[in-house]
Order: sequence, then structure tokens, then C-alpha cells
Amino acid sequence: MYVGKNVPHDSARGHVTGESVYVDDIPHLANELQVGYWWSPVARGRIRALDLAAAAMIPGVVALYTFEDIEGGNIFGPIFQDEPLLAPGEVSYIGQPVVVIAAETREAVDAARKAIVADIERLTPILTIDDAVAAQSFIGTRRTISRGNAEAAIAAAPHVVEGVFRSGGQDQFYLESQAAIAMPDEHGAITVHSSTQNPTEVQDVIAHVLGLSQSEVVVVAKRMGGGFGGKECQATHPATIAALVAQKTRRPARIAFTKDEDMIVTGHRHPFQNRYRVGFDDSGHILGMQVDFYSDGGAFADLSTAIMARAMCHAENAYYIHDIEINGTVCRTNSAPNTAMRGFGGPQGVATMENMVEEIAVTLGRDPFEIRRLNCYGTTDRNVTPYGAVVENNTLPRIFDELVASSDYVRRRDEVLRFNRESKTRLRGIALTPVKFGISFNTTFLNQANALVNIYRDGSVQVSTGATEMGQGVNTKIAQLVADELGVELSAVRLMITSTEKNNNTSATAASTGSDINGAAAIDACRRLRARLADCAARLLVEGEADPSPSPESIVVREGVVFDSRRPAKTMTFGDLAHAAHRHRVSLGERGYYATPLIHWDIEKFSGRPFLYYTIGAAVSEVEIDRFTGMMRVLRSDLLMDIGRSINPGIDRGQITGAFVQGMGWCTTEELRYADDGELLTHSPTTYKIPNIQDLPEIFSVAWIDNDTNTANVKGSKAVGEPPLLLGISVWAAAKQALLSVAAGRGVPLGLPATIEEIAVQLATIESV
Amino acid sequence: MRDHLELFLNGRKVRVSGTDAFRTAANWLREVRGATGTKTVCEEGDCGACTVLVGTPRDGRLDYVPVNSCIQMLFQLDGIHVVSVEGLQLGSELSDVQRSMVDHHGAQCGYCTPGFVVAMTALRESGAAVTGREAREALTGNLCRCTGYDPIIEAALDMTGGHGRSLDELYPPGPIAEALARASDGVRIDANGRTFFAPHTLRDALAFLAANPGAVIVQGGTDFGVQCNKRGLRPSVMMTLAHLDGLDGIAIENGALVVGGRATLAALEKFTETRVPALHGILQLFGSPQIRNAGTLAGNVANASPIADTLPFLFVCEAELELESVRGKRAVGINAFYKGYKQLDKAPDEMITKVRVPLPGEAETVRLYKVSKRRDLDISTFTAAIRMTVAGGRMSGVKIAYGGVAPVVLRLPRTEALLEGAGATEALFREAGDVARGEIAPISDVRGSKEFRSLLAANVLMKFFHEEIAGARVAPGTGAR
Repeated sequence: MYVGKNVPHDSARGHVTGESVYVDDIPHLANELQVGYWWSPVARGRIRALDLAAAAMIPGVVALYTFEDIEGGNIFGPIFQDEPLLAPGEVSYIGQPVVVIAAETREAVDAARKAIVADIERLTPILTIDDAVAAQSFIGTRRTISRGNAEAAIAAAPHVVEGVFRSGGQDQFYLESQAAIAMPDEHGAITVHSSTQNPTEVQDVIAHVLGLSQSEVVVVAKRMGGGFGGKECQATHPATIAALVAQKTRRPARIAFTKDEDMIVTGHRHPFQNRYRVGFDDSGHILGMQVDFYSDGGAFADLSTAIMARAMCHAENAYYIHDIEINGTVCRTNSAPNTAMRGFGGPQGVATMENMVEEIAVTLGRDPFEIRRLNCYGTTDRNVTPYGAVVENNTLPRIFDELVASSDYVRRRDEVLRFNRESKTRLRGIALTPVKFGISFNTTFLNQANALVNIYRDGSVQVSTGATEMGQGVNTKIAQLVADELGVELSAVRLMITSTEKNNNTSATAASTGSDINGAAAIDACRRLRARLADCAARLLVEGEADPSPSPESIVVREGVVFDSRRPAKTMTFGDLAHAAHRHRVSLGERGYYATPLIHWDIEKFSGRPFLYYTIGAAVSEVEIDRFTGMMRVLRSDLLMDIGRSINPGIDRGQITGAFVQGMGWCTTEELRYADDGELLTHSPTTYKIPNIQDLPEIFSVAWIDNDTNTANVKGSKAVGEPPLLLGISVWAAAKQALLSVAAGRGVPLGLPATIEEIAVQLATIESV
Repeated sequence: MRDHLELFLNGRKVRVSGTDAFRTAANWLREVRGATGTKTVCEEGDCGACTVLVGTPRDGRLDYVPVNSCIQMLFQLDGIHVVSVEGLQLGSELSDVQRSMVDHHGAQCGYCTPGFVVAMTALRESGAAVTGREAREALTGNLCRCTGYDPIIEAALDMTGGHGRSLDELYPPGPIAEALARASDGVRIDANGRTFFAPHTLRDALAFLAANPGAVIVQGGTDFGVQCNKRGLRPSVMMTLAHLDGLDGIAIENGALVVGGRATLAALEKFTETRVPALHGILQLFGSPQIRNAGTLAGNVANASPIADTLPFLFVCEAELELESVRGKRAVGINAFYKGYKQLDKAPDEMITKVRVPLPGEAETVRLYKVSKRRDLDISTFTAAIRMTVAGGRMSGVKIAYGGVAPVVLRLPRTEALLEGAGATEALFREAGDVARGEIAPISDVRGSKEFRSLLAANVLMKFFHEEIAGARVAPGTGAR
């Protein structure tokens, strides 16, 4: 059996040898064009005139296209259709595509970009959430989740804290920047290789923009050099631009962003600015809470409203709060459309909650852990979320208690407080923060998947699903599931390139659900194949026996060996069985389908059961801060999670360490800085600092509990892609604790990210009081 | 004189002529050689995905170090054995590093993986058992967004299970070194209006500079490559010092550290580890191993960045630069070398042949500070060097230099004067902070606001006071670097 085993990633060998092929590694095709675009240099304006004459004259430049050259529809979008592929006169953010450039070389593309002359009337841009609120510039409508009477509960509470909590954006910073190659097919059809998490979305938009039917567009996605949500919707733009060139020129067209281009033109994690009021009693019980979430959606809707919905569904994090009101508003601004990034609004909601807990603890002079444990969701009661879902099989209390003990939290907190009293040069802080992350797309219909399983006559197996491989190991996990389900050796199962021509109408590989839904669909196909093969084997294995009655239910197939459990000595190989089945005209291919059961969501009332289950965890982090420079190190982080029964412990562990460090980056060093005119200044790793290997906690412990209660999901597993990212918030909370320990009982309005500048300025403020 | 490059790639001799010599090594590997295992991500030496090993012949051997191929011009690699990720296997058998990375899930999306595998190979070549600390140091120049690094560190601690061959076993160095040695006379390539020259002697180099005053010396090239990739720099005449005899020495002469014009920062880091610990500490935080293997001290000086990490130390040590041209030699004090932002007291035909750093005495305290958003592989927001002797509670020989607070690195004469001869008290250092803030002219930029820099200008003095004078208690084992 392979499920539960630590088998290597199915691409690992290619990765370590450099053999793995990514889009821009595909050898240049004869006649191939290089594609780029000229983008708006202003955040908001009206194009009065565009002079392309000089650019067109540059040697090697083949074509220049504007919105007027689009034969299908120029406006698209995954939820609201509000985004132009090429700006039609008005420009709405710096980086917005205006003119597509196709040339023989990348150098010619760059030269043409410099030669384009535009006369743009500059309009006053909306660059902040405050600007947007003042201008009433929103995307979609304000949404509310409400239970009980928050207003009254807060009014009656002995203590109230309120304030505004801001969290910054974050670049996905996948190492492989966006890339696509479009190839014209016969009869006007088109095939596109795209580095995308969402081939179906790319297919839809290309068909729409090019005026083709969806069946005329094939999108192929072999692998990505990272996605993290950034290629869920925004791989669409480069792929469609390449497709446009291929359609017009009938030549292959390649686009590959540089890292700088990628960071400038694509959206990021949404910055949030959240107003909060929370009432509580002397013991720290939260009696009522009101939050108003505002996100910076950027210029176009993209996934912003779905991201806000997830933020709202995570506003209470791990805590039962009966009287609660959560409002969410997406602001339309003149920055690049913000989009999915690992956590998808969840981190912004949870960080706001954890900040409130810290403030409650300061007010009461208590250890914030006590507040967390006190308000934690219950296992039998106090276990219904504000949107009406029951937190089933709740392991939060268990994780809290086990982690506090295993991390030695209580003793270490005393030590930290003592250290801070004695040291004049450094400060330490320690904090425990939890996560309860809902698994399933909030939007119910997206929770479906299909899979194609083909068995060949030698017993080898090909599996194709709509899941896209971006490093997370979804293909490896599906191979393990298929191998066990069919009873073949893992080496007999090969996961194939993802393509819309094999798997249609797929959902993005997102929301941590890749293995859940695609794995379940593959199992569905395997079960039917196995039943047919068991029938066939039953007949073959009784030939020449004294008792000739075939018994399919007695057939065992295990790691490539087939036998009748009544007579285990007589065996055949899976290859022999497949060969014989073909001779007996038994179909060796099957398509599986899965639709996540039990879930429902009222999009108007914002209530229901949007998630099949929750992935749960907590982390204790300890930091040390230089009191003079604000520079911070993470001394130790202990993570404890409930990920159900792991399909592949090595892969899951890597998801946890990777997500945690990414979350830590969001909370500390990753800062998107903009010029006053809205230009992004941090668009490469020189200025945008994701965590380095040296930033890893000096002691880093990752563990999970045994939990086989999650029977709703495939093989009792739980999704693990996003939830540990939110545990990075423990680092931020530890920094806040460090500052609070010298603030003499006053609050410290630490923003997120807690950069060295933010920390140093907060320290200076504390000292000046 | 040779009119083409000769190098080895993964054990095979390659001849490169014409415009290809002016490509970056990464671009040449990917676009010309089809060796797409080498990835380019940032094109500025900040992510390490393009890391390759460069083996330099030395006494019949090949010394391999990792460098960033995205900011190395191919012409810099003349006479070098380049090993890319494709060159580490033995047939279909993975190397120890590759096997360990597979087994420990060191690769997820795989895009950074070739760079890590190559950098880890350099670490493994050292032969010694690797500690977690060494793994982190060796991999500081490589960014990974997927794994959180922990699985990669585990892989680095267990580099076994593969074919077990060292690079010298995979590529016997004798024949390669011999073939490359035979080729090492001067090289000049003229192609498409651009010229590259690699002189054999200092005399030839100076004559070339005299004849081509606009020529750019590309030795480490760690900033040059970035300027070419990102800012459209495209000089027509370039010269490397790679084939020059000499200028790579590092020595202590008459109490001064003397560093040759083409000595790498990596060599300097090694040299100073026991001899000049204060400088060594800051060199460890300078860029990454890949950057230090290519970059030079003279290059850091000549590049004239106000946030160059080595400059505050050179300023408080009152280092001297030796400049040479066909007209002769002269010495310039570093404190007088910078005339304005990127303006140097250096004629176009002059080059820095030596940096001479009179070292502080044993009784003196010298502390260097680098403040950056991320501790490692980050460009500084603020840098400082503070030097003084404290005896009987009194301060003397006070020298203070700050970087990142003006268009050039500054000495702070008024702050120095305030402290000179005075008793070291917290109150005086607080006052010194106010004086220091008045001596600087910081700006706000992407690395920090002017208010933050001004705060640091004062705070760093308090840090010095508390850590070096008041002797604040420090918990064991947590010494900040």
C-alpha cells in the first residue's frame, strides 16, 4: 500500500537534474514570435493619442495590437466581467496592458516598448482604501455575516477595545514568472501551453477574446515553477495575449515575463484595513464582536469578492463568539487587480482576530494564551460558526493543550519576561496562535472534479486530472491513491500532463482542494475499472478449477499481483489481467467524477456549510528583537497540526514548512512599497524580501496529531496547502508581545508586516512616552 | 592574441566567438546551448536559481566555486570549467546531492532546485561533514518559495546515497586544466561594435585603459551584470583582469591589510576570519557566497555605492587606495576619494590596483553595523562603523562613519569631536545621537524612510554604548552578528 508512505515527488528526479521542462524551457519553435506588451505608465488616465509608428518601424517588430484588434470580447473576469484584456482608452493601473507587441526577438520587443509614444490625460488615482471609501469606489456590494446582537453585547460588556488593523499585500513570488506559448492549430483553433493553476479559465478567456468556441481552444499545463494563487486567474492575461498574436499572425507566440514585469503587472495578496470593536468580561470571555473588513481589490474584480468571503468566514478564527457581526467591503482602487494568494483572505481575517486577542490580554493584564484557550471552539457545544456551520470533530482544544505542553510555553514565557526586564539591548516575545481553516471552495459549484484513468495492455496506467502540479505534490498523491485503488505498483502509475482536452470544465487547483477533489475523482474511476477487472479476473482464475464458480468479490489485486483469496497460490500479474481483459473486450479506460458532498452556501445571506471540514493547527513562536535597529530573528517555532491521515507525510511536511515560512514572510519582511503616483517600487528580490534560508527559525519543530475522524474526505486525509501559512501569524504576535512587554500596559499598534522599520518606530514611540 | 573564448562546459571544450561572448552566461546556457536546467528568475544575483560552478585552473587543479550565471558575462568565464546542473549526474545515476534532495523532499516546484543542487555541490566538495549552520551559510544565496528551506537543510545534512563521485572524479582536472592553461594568453573579441579585452599583464591593461578611456573594468561584475540586465547599460569597451598575473594577493604588511585589485571578497572573507574579525563579520553578511566568489573589494570601492557594505570600515581605518595608470602610481585616502554620488577622484585611465587598510590596534574597539530589512542577502538600509579606544572610562581616537545617510559614505566629525576625550556615559551618547542626526542628510527610498535612517543614526550609537561600553548582559549563545 502506498497511501501514508513517504514516497518522493514524482518530478523530483527531473527537478534535481534540470531535466524538468517549464513553459519557457520548451525549445524555440521555427517561426516563433516573441511577445510582450506596453503597459499603462499611469495609475489612472485617459489615452488621448497613441503613436505606434516608431515602434512599428523597429527591425524585427511584426505586429502591434490594441483593443481595437480584438475580434471577440475584450472584457472578461471570473466573477464579474469588468476587466479589459487591453485598455480601451481609459487606463486604470500602472502595468495595465495597452499595446501587444509581437517581434522576432525579445530585444525587438523591448525596443518597441520604448518607442511607443502615448499622450495620456492623468486623472487623480485612488490609491488607498481610505481614498476608495471616501470616493465610494467599491467592487460588488457590502456583505454581512451576523449572529445574535453584537451591538448590544458590546454595549453591555465590561470592557471594550476597538481600533483599526492593517495588513499589507504580498507578492506570490513564484520563482517561475508567468509564461505561455500559443500555437495556431488547423481551422483557426489554438493550443496554448500555459503556466497556470486554472487551464479551464485560460481556455474560457482565450475563446471569449478570440471569438472561438471553447472546443477550439486547448490549454496544456505541464507544471508550474510555483503558483501560490498568483496563477489562478492571472495566468490568463499573458496566455490570452500570446493566443491573440498566434491567431492574428498564424505563428507560434511566446510570452515570458521577467520577474520585474511579473511583479508590476500582476496583482498580489489583498491589503486589508479592518475596523474592529470587541467586548469582553473580566475573565477574558469575548461577549460580542463587530468587524468591518475593507480590502484593496485593485482596479478590477478578479477574485476579490470571493477572497473577501473567505476572510469573513475566518474572522472569528478558532473562537466561539455568539454575538458577532462581520461586514466586508471590497474597494476598487488604481492598483493592479489583487488576486488569490495562498490563504485567500483567511490570513487577513485571522490576523485581525489574533490582534484583538492580544489587545484583550493587554487590557486585562493576562497571558494571551489564556484568552485563546478560554474562547476556543468547543467539541460538543459552542461549536457553531457565525455562518451556521458546525465545527465537527473539533481538535482545537486538544492541539492547544498538547502544544502548550510540548513547546514548554508557560516556562518559556516566564523566561522571556525575565529576559526583557534584564536586557537593555534586546527584547524577546513568545506567542501561540491557532488556525481553523475551512476546506472547499466557498463557491459551492467549484467543488467538483473529473479524472481520466487509462490502463494499457501491459498493466501500466496513465492518469489525467484537472489538477495542476505546482510543486505541491498533487500528482504524487493521486498516483499513490490510484496505485492502491487499482492494486498496482506505484511505478506502474504515471500522472499525465494536465490538458483541457482530457479533462473539461475543471476548477482551479486552489483552495487547498487539489488532492481532495481530483484524488476522489480518480478513485471513482479506479473503482469502476477495478470492478470490471475483478469480474474478468474471477473468470480467468477459475478456469480449470474444480469449483468453477467465479467470485469477483474474492479477487484481490495488490501491488500488481492478482489472485482469488479462496486460492491465493494461483496468481496472475496485473499486466496479464489487463492484456486478457482487452482480449475479452473489457474497457480499460474510465472517467471518474466527484462532487464534494454535504456543502451548501447561501450567497445572499452568507450562511450555510461552505466547507466540508476544517484543517486545524497552532504554532508557538519566539522572537528576539534588537532594541536599537528593530532587526528580528525567530529563535524557535513549534507547529502542531491536525491534517487527518496523511497521504504522503514527506510532501505534507514540506507543505507545512513552506507555508509557515511564507506566512512568516508576509508578517515580517515582505513589504510592497509604492511611489506616490502608485508605481510599485519593490518589484524584484533586491527590494522585495521573501524569507531567506537564514530566516528559518533556529529551532523548527513540525508535528501532527493522529486523527482518523475525517472520514468525509479522501482516505481520511485533510488538505494542507494553505492552513499552515496562517501559523506564520504566531511570529507577528510574538513580535507584538515583545513590544508590549516594555509598553507598561499600554497598547502597541503594530502593523503587519512587522518590518524592522515598523518595529523600530514602535519602539521609539514606546520610549518617548 | 586569441579572438574567441575557450572554456569547458560539463567536461567538454567549447569555443565561443562573436556576439555570444557578450551574453550573460545564463542566457548563453539556455538560449545557445539549450541547457535549460539553469533558470533565470531575478537576473540580478538575488535568487541563485542560475547558480553554476566555475572551476578555475590553479596549479593543475580546478578550484570550483558557485557564482550567479545571470550576472556573469560569458567573456568573464574564458579559461574556466563551467559545471551546470546538467553536469552533475554520472550517466543516469544521481549525485549524492541530487539523491539526497529527492529523498528529503528538497524540491517542490523545482524551479529553484538546480541552483540549490549546484550550491550544495560546492558545499559537498569541501569534503567535511556539514553542520546546519554551514548549510545555511552556503545556501544564503538561493531563494526557495516552496519548501521553507527545512527539507533542503535536511538534504544538505545527508548528502549520501548517490554516485558518490566528487567533481574531480567526474571531471579529472588534469587534462581540463592543461587545455585551459595552454589557452591562457591574452584575448580580444570585437563583435558588433563591442570590444572585450583580457590582458595578460598589468602593463597591457593600463595601456588598454589609456587607449580606451571609456572602457569598463568587469572583474566581479556583480553590479555590472545587474546594470546591464535591468538598466540597459551597454558599454562598448570592456576589460577583465581575470588573466592578469598578480593583483589577487591579500596580505598583512606593516600593520596594514593589503588587498589586491582583483582579490575576491570570498578570499578576503577567508583571510580575515582570524586576522580581522570585525571586517570578517560584515563580509559574512555581504551578498551571498555566489556574490562574494565573484565580487572584489576594489569593485565595491569603485562602484561607489553609499551603502556599500565594506566602506564604513575602510573609512574609519582611513584606508588608502593605490591607483595606477600609464602615467604612474598614486595613493588616495578613501575619505577623500568620493566627490559626490558615484563621483570618484579617479581618472578614466586609472585603475585601483591595491586597497591598503591600516588595521586598528588591539586596544581599540571597532564595530561595524549593517541594518537591512532582511539580515542576509539584502542591500543595507543603513551601515555604520564606530572605532575608538576606551581607557579608564575615557574615549579617544574616535572615528565614526555612516552609510545610507547621504550620497556618499560620511565621516561624522562633529559627533567624533563630541566623544573624543570625553567620559563614556549614556547621556553623552544620547547627545551624540542628536549631533549625528544633524550631520547626515538621509532620503526616503524603498529601503527605508529618512525618519527611520535618522532614528538609526542615533540608535546605533546607543547600541554601541550599551553593547561595547556599558556591557549590557547578553544571554549566552544569542550573540547577534
